[in-house]
Amino acid sequence: MIGVAVAIGIALGAAQQAAPPAQPGESPYRIAGRLPVRIMSFDVQPKSIRPGEKVTLTWATENPQSISIDPIGRVAPRGTLTLTPSATTTYTLAVTGASNSADKRMVTVTVQGPTAVSATSASHLPKAVPRTADGHPDLSGVYGYGQAPGGRGGPPPAQPVLKPGAENFKIVRAADDTGQYSSCMPPGIPQSFFVPYYTQIVQAPKSVVIAHEYLNLHRIIPTDGRNHPPDPDPSWMGNAVGRWDGDTLVVDSIGYNDKTEINGYRHTESLHIVERFSRPDFNTLSYEATIQDPNVFAQPWIIRRNFPLLPEYDSLNEFVCENNRDYKPLFGNK
Amino acid sequence: MRRYLLAVAAVVLLASPLSAHHSTAMYQMDHPTTVTGTVKRFEWTNPHAFIYIDVKDEKGNSTEWEIELMSLNHLRSYGWVRTTVKPGDVITCTGGAAKSGAPSMISALLKLPDGRELRS
Repeated sequence: MIGVAVAIGIALGAAQQAAPPAQPGESPYRIAGRLPVRIMSFDVQPKSIRPGEKVTLTWATENPQSISIDPIGRVAPRGTLTLTPSATTTYTLAVTGASNSADKRMVTVTVQGPTAVSATSASHLPKAVPRTADGHPDLSGVYGYGQAPGGRGGPPPAQPVLKPGAENFKIVRAADDTGQYSSCMPPGIPQSFFVPYYTQIVQAPKSVVIAHEYLNLHRIIPTDGRNHPPDPDPSWMGNAVGRWDGDTLVVDSIGYNDKTEINGYRHTESLHIVERFSRPDFNTLSYEATIQDPNVFAQPWIIRRNFPLLPEYDSLNEFVCENNRDYKPLFGNK
Repeated sequence: MRRYLLAVAAVVLLASPLSAHHSTAMYQMDHPTTVTGTVKRFEWTNPHAFIYIDVKDEKGNSTEWEIELMSLNHLRSYGWVRTTVKPGDVITCTGGAAKSGAPSMISALLKLPDGRELRS
């Protein structure tokens, strides 16, 4: 036996302290937002292999804000990976969390052989935007939700210019009006991107599928050069066709019903949306929606968002609206 | 159904600013409530996960509380899996109770039997 199994699990600067105490009247979400990160486990099996053999890396963390394994890159808070390292490799799990908490552990796989050398890390280097065989940027991936309109840290949402006489298309809600998410009805485009659930893009040579975790909404958008059908039936998600403008996917959609709203405004069935999707870097999906409705808006209304790629996820969670139908009365009408 | 989706609205509000005061009508977020009980069942589902716990008062009478959690993508990002909470576990939830007085709350922070605290 040439090699010797080496496995180390070192906790560096483990931060297991409790969250700072709550202030009187403080939101429980703010209290929870201070919980420190911790690594529950990090292991690799087996710890010594011959060249070409596989190892399994497993890890679990809690309350993380960022998680990465060097030399792999970003990973989910918990996971398992099967790897075939070609050289002796030390994997380092590093997490950061609230209240300046951080933790780090390492495990090493020894690859037996006379040429065993330590692998160098490349996970911190910028990754190139992948491209498909036909040369287009590959937008495929799971993306997080963008900053909600007017949300913390984000720019104020762009406001539309209403056509004279269209003032009543601006939605004014009473304090107890719960808004467009108060039913199982689809929020339409672009609002389906603005809910706190993920979106997945699957890019094929002649179509692009955009799937939203929220309500399982999806669009299968042809990119084969076809046009809209004449007079499409009004629908919640519209009729969309796509084309490539350089490295940007342009999706033109019409055929919407008038039941959805866009950032606080109603519209008519004349709604026409042009969406532009691009991937300026590996980690970002850039989104721009130009909204036009000649019955409502005096000029095109542009809404922009950036959605972060979530490379640690490869699929959406199941979403069944009916799961929560047995809510207990919350408003005193037991 | 309407009640469920009010919670979606709450999540939409909570997920971005995590505001201490929000316009959602159903929960008292500015006066946190802490409830300890024994887990009866854990529903690991979207749009929201739920835990049902038995809470005993000083006389030993038991009331079932419905504990609403965030959506699965949030819970996974906090490190949750579907076995993080199991029937029989004694857990403590801190969050906002229903303004209606119903034994329901949305939990922001949850303490597991071994003392670990998790965002919820």
